Amino acid sequence: MDEWKPNPAVKPHKKRSWYLAWKYKLMNQRALRKLCQTGAVLFLLVTVIVNIKLILDTRRAAYEEEEESAQDYDDEMLNVEVPRHPVNNKKVLDVEVYSSRSKVYVAVDGTTVLEDEAREQGRGIHVIVLNQATGHVMAKRVFDTYSPHEDEAMVLFLNMVARGRILIFTIKDEGSFHLKETAKNVLKSLGSQVAPFLSWRDMWTFVGKKGGEVYGEKHAKSPALSTWGDPVLLKTEVHLTSVEDAECHWPDTELNRRRKRFCSKVEGYGSVCSCKDPTPIEFNPDPLKDNKVFDVPVAVIAGNRPNYLYRMLRSLLSAQGVNPQMITVFIDGYYEEPMDVVELFGLSGIQHTPISIKNARVSQHYKASLTATFNLFPDAKFAVVLEEDLDISVDFFSFLSQSIHLLEEDESLYCISAWNDQGYEHTAEDPSLLYRVETMPGLGWVLRKSLYKDELEPKWPTPEKLWDWDMWMRMPEQRKGRECIIPDISRSYHFGIVGLNMNGYFHEAYFKKHKFNTVPNVQLKNVESLRKDNYETEIHRLLGEAEVLDHSKNPCEDSFVPDTEGRVYVMFIKMEQEADFTTWTQLAKCLHIWDLDVRGNHKGLWRLFRKKNHFLVVGVPASPYSSKKPSSVTPIYMEPPAKEEGAVAVPAVAAAEQT
Amino acid sequence: MQKINRNVVLALLSLTSLVFLLFQLCYYKFYLSQKNGAAFSKVRGSQSGQDSTRWHVVRKFLGLISSHNIPVYLIDPLILGLVDKDIEQIRSSPDGPSPACKYFCAPRDFTTFALLDKTWKHEVGLFRTAEKMGFQWLKIINKDPRLDGMDDLSGMEIPLHYIFKLASHAIHLVVFYERSGNFLWHGPLRLKQHMDRKFVPFRKLHFGRYPGAYEKPELLLVSIDDLKVQIPKNPSSFLQEVSHSRFLECRYREARAFFQLYPDDASLDAVEFRKKAKSLLHLAALTLNNLGVKFWLSSGTCLGWYRQCNVIPHSKDVDLGIFIRDYKADIIPAFQKAGLPLKHKFGKVEDSLELSFQGEDDVKLDIFFFYEEDDHIWNGGTQAKSGKKFKYLFPKFTLCWTEFVELKVHVPCETLQYVEANYGPEWKVPVKTWDWKSSPSNVQDNGVWPVDEWDDVIQIY
Repeated sequence: MDEWKPNPAVKPHKKRSWYLAWKYKLMNQRALRKLCQTGAVLFLLVTVIVNIKLILDTRRAAYEEEEESAQDYDDEMLNVEVPRHPVNNKKVLDVEVYSSRSKVYVAVDGTTVLEDEAREQGRGIHVIVLNQATGHVMAKRVFDTYSPHEDEAMVLFLNMVARGRILIFTIKDEGSFHLKETAKNVLKSLGSQVAPFLSWRDMWTFVGKKGGEVYGEKHAKSPALSTWGDPVLLKTEVHLTSVEDAECHWPDTELNRRRKRFCSKVEGYGSVCSCKDPTPIEFNPDPLKDNKVFDVPVAVIAGNRPNYLYRMLRSLLSAQGVNPQMITVFIDGYYEEPMDVVELFGLSGIQHTPISIKNARVSQHYKASLTATFNLFPDAKFAVVLEEDLDISVDFFSFLSQSIHLLEEDESLYCISAWNDQGYEHTAEDPSLLYRVETMPGLGWVLRKSLYKDELEPKWPTPEKLWDWDMWMRMPEQRKGRECIIPDISRSYHFGIVGLNMNGYFHEAYFKKHKFNTVPNVQLKNVESLRKDNYETEIHRLLGEAEVLDHSKNPCEDSFVPDTEGRVYVMFIKMEQEADFTTWTQLAKCLHIWDLDVRGNHKGLWRLFRKKNHFLVVGVPASPYSSKKPSSVTPIYMEPPAKEEGAVAVPAVAAAEQT
Repeated sequence: MQKINRNVVLALLSLTSLVFLLFQLCYYKFYLSQKNGAAFSKVRGSQSGQDSTRWHVVRKFLGLISSHNIPVYLIDPLILGLVDKDIEQIRSSPDGPSPACKYFCAPRDFTTFALLDKTWKHEVGLFRTAEKMGFQWLKIINKDPRLDGMDDLSGMEIPLHYIFKLASHAIHLVVFYERSGNFLWHGPLRLKQHMDRKFVPFRKLHFGRYPGAYEKPELLLVSIDDLKVQIPKNPSSFLQEVSHSRFLECRYREARAFFQLYPDDASLDAVEFRKKAKSLLHLAALTLNNLGVKFWLSSGTCLGWYRQCNVIPHSKDVDLGIFIRDYKADIIPAFQKAGLPLKHKFGKVEDSLELSFQGEDDVKLDIFFFYEEDDHIWNGGTQAKSGKKFKYLFPKFTLCWTEFVELKVHVPCETLQYVEANYGPEWKVPVKTWDWKSSPSNVQDNGVWPVDEWDDVIQIY
C-alpha cells in the first residue's frame, strides 16, 4: 500500500515528474490499476468501518464492566443525603423568646424549638440549653415553680449545665409562687436583673450564657393579683463560639469519643460531661463465677425519660456479672435523647414507632420489645425484662444466676422477679431468702421464652383493648395458677415518679420506703426449697416452729410482735374464701405495706418481717395452712372503716388497676 | 485531475486507516493498564508470584483475626471444593505439613470466610490493626431483618459484609446471624451511594448477591497449606447448601398494610388454630427434614406467608408441596410414627399424588406432589365421590428459604406468580368460602380415574 502513497513533502515540480513517470507506467496496465484502486478503496472502507465498530465495542464493553461491576449490588434505596444546616458557618444566632399566660415559644434562627400553648399544661419556667458553638438545643425542661420543690430541681439542673452554654428562660402562666431565694440567687448569678424581684403572675424572658454575658432580658409585671403581666417578646442575638472552645479536651479513646458525641448534643447529665474528671461511662464490675445468666438477653423498656434511663443504665452496667452485649434498650417512639444515652454507654437501642394510646401503647411496646428480643437472640431460653425507672441491685445477676434453673425445671413457675411488693424497710430483712408468690410483681423480672412464644404472644391484648400488660399477665387466664419467685429484699428499686400511672404522692407512699439490696454476692440459702413440693414442706416446717402471737392484741400495734430478733411468729386472720382479702387489706394498710390490691400471697399465706422476726400471716379457713391454727385461737377480723367502704374502696381498686 | 483526486482520496483513506490502527492500539493498551490498575492483574507471566500472594494475604488475615480472638471459618466455595477432594487425608492428618501450596494458591480474586456475629464484639481495634498491616477495608452495613415484623421497630444498622484488600487479593468476610428457626442468615451485599464501586470486582463474589440461609455448621480445625483454619466439617454438604441458599424475607410492610385493611382475627378460635397449625407445621418439617425430603409451603399456607406473614386463621389446614422426584415411600409411615395418621391418599406416584394426614383437632396436613413438565409444573386433585381428576397449573419456579412461624422453610422464589396462579390477581382480598375444585384460577379438568383403579387411587381412612 505504501507504493500508492504520495509524498506531500516533495516539492511541486519534483512531485510532478515523479507523478508523470508513475502515470506513464501505469497507463500501460490500466485495467489492473483500476482493479487495484477499487480493491484498495473497498479495503480501506472496510478497515475504517471495522475500526470504528471495534472502538465503539471496546468502549461499551469497558463502560459496562465499570458500571456493572457493582450494579447488582447497588442499594435499592437511594440514600438521599439531607443537606445539613450550615449552622457552623454562622457566627450569630437570632433568638426570639415569648412569655405569656397561655403560650410560650422560643425560636432560634427562625426555627421554633419550643412552643407550648396547651391548656392546663406546661406551667412554670421553661428552660432551654443551647450549644454555644452549634446553636443546637441540648436540653429542654419545664419546672413548675408554682408548685413546691420544683425550684430545687431547677437549681440542680442549672448547676449541672456546663459553663459556656446558652440558657433561655421563659415563664408560662405562673412561675414565681414557689420560686425560693436560692433559686432566685442562682438566676441572679446567671446575670438576670429581674429574677430576684419576680413575683406573682409576672411574665419574664431571659437569654444568657452560663458564666458569661447576658444577651437580653424582658419582664412584664402583673398589675394585680387577678391578672397576668402583659405578654413579652424578647428578640436578641447570640454570638457563637468556635467548636474547639465548646468542647472538653479528653484523651482520644473510643470511650471519650462516645462521651464527646453525647456531651455536644445534650445537657443535664452532670459530671459525665465535665472536662475535668468526668464520671466513668464504663464500669467493669466483677464478673460472676459460673454465671448462668451471662447469655440471657436483657430488654430495657424505655419511653422518653432519658435522665431515668441514664440512671438506670448506670446501675445496670455496674451490677456484677452484667453482659453489655446482651442488653437492648427499646425506646417507645422516635426520641433522640434516650438514644443518645444508649449510645453513650455503647449499648444497642431500638426505636419503636408508637401505635395506639396510653396503656395500650405501653402494652404494645412491651410486646414488640419482647418479640424482638427473642428474634435477636433466638437461642435464648429466657429474657430479663427491665424498665427505665429501676435501679438494679449490685447482685441482681447473681440472684438470677442462682435461681434461674428453677424457672427452667419447675413448670409451676411463672416468673422470677427481683421485686418484693411487700419488701419495705420495716418488713424485709433477709437478703438470702426467697419466696413463692401467686402474684406477678414485674419491675425487673425473668420471662421464659416458651411462656411468651406459646402462650402470651399469640393472644397478647390487641391495641384496641386498652389493657395494661401487667394486669393482663396477672389475670388467671394467663397465670394459670403458676407462681413467681421473689426475694425478700428487692433486687430492684423503683425510682420513677413521673410515669404514666404515677404521681408524686403515690410514689412517696408506696415505693420510696422500699428496701433495696446493696450487698454484693449474696449467697441465696433456700433455692432448692422453692420447688413446688419442697416449698410446701418448707412452709409446714416454718409453721411448725412458729410461735403463735397473742391474738387478743391489736395487730397494728407495734407491741403485737415481741421485741425479739430472729424468731418466727404466726398470726391468723379471717379469710372466708380464696378471694376474701378484707382483713388482709386492713392489716396491710396499718402495716404501711402494699394495700392497693393483694400481692405477695401464697395459698392464703403472707411472709414478711416485723422487728427482725419472720412474721407469717395465715388466712383462715381459706388457706390450706389453717390446720396449723391452734383451736384456741380465733382468727383476727378487721373491718374496713364503714365510711370508706363506698368512698375509698372503689377508687383504691381503680388505682390498683392503674399500677 | 480526476485521477489525481482519486489517488489523493486513496492516500487519505489509507492514512486514516493507519491512524485508526494506531489509535486502537493505544486504546487497547490503555484499557489493559486500567484493568491492571484495579489490582487484579491477569498477566500470566507472574503466575507463581500471584499464587503466593494469595497465600500470604490469607495468612496475614488469619493472623489479624486471631490476634483479636475472632473465630472465623472458611466458606470459600472454590477452596472448599478442592479441600473436599482430599477431605479424608486432611481430616486424618490435621497437623501434617503439606508439600505444596495446593489450596490457598489456587487462582481466584477472593477468599471467603464466615463470622458468627454473636461470637465477637464489634470492636474498632480490629480495623486499626488491619490498616497497620496494610489492609484496605470496606464494611457493608444494612438494617437488621430480625427487627422486621408486625411492629415498626428501627435499630442500628448491622454489619453484613467486610472486605479486606491487600495487594492483588481480597478477603470477603461474611457475617452470619442466628435467626429464629434455628438457622444462620447472611445479608445481601448492597453498596450505598458513596461507596467505591471498584473497590473489588463485586460481581465475582460468591456470597452477597442475595441473602442466604444456612444450617449451623459443625466446624473442624484443619491445617491446609500450613495454615490452621476452621472449615465446615462436611464441606460437600456445605457446598450443596451454598447453591440453594437464597433467602426471602417475609414482606412485613405489605403484611402490615394488609392488616390495616383487614384487621387480624384475634378471636380465641383463631389463636387456637394458629397455635395448632404452627405445631403441625413444626412436626411436618421435622419429619420431612429427617427423611431428607425437600418441601415448600403451598396453597393457603404459602398465601398466608406471602400476604400476612402468618397462618391464615380461617384456612383450617396446612398445605405443603413436594416434587414427585423427591417422593419416598417412607413418607406415610414416618408421619404415622410422628402421630399423624393418614387421612386420605389420592392418585398414585405416576399421576396426581396427594396425601392428607390428620393432625390434632381437625387440623389437616395436605401434601401435594408436583409434576414438572417442560414449560410448567402441576399438581393434581381428585374428587372422592366422582373420581374426577383436576389439574392445577403453575409457571415454573425455584425454591427459596424463608422464616415462617420460627421455622426455616422453603417457598417458591417466584412467590407472586405462584400465588397469582393459584388465587388469581385478587389474592390480596381474603376469601372465606373456597372451593378447591372451582375457586383456584389455575384449575383444569383432567378427566376421570378409571373405575377399576379407584381402590388404588382413592383411599380414604
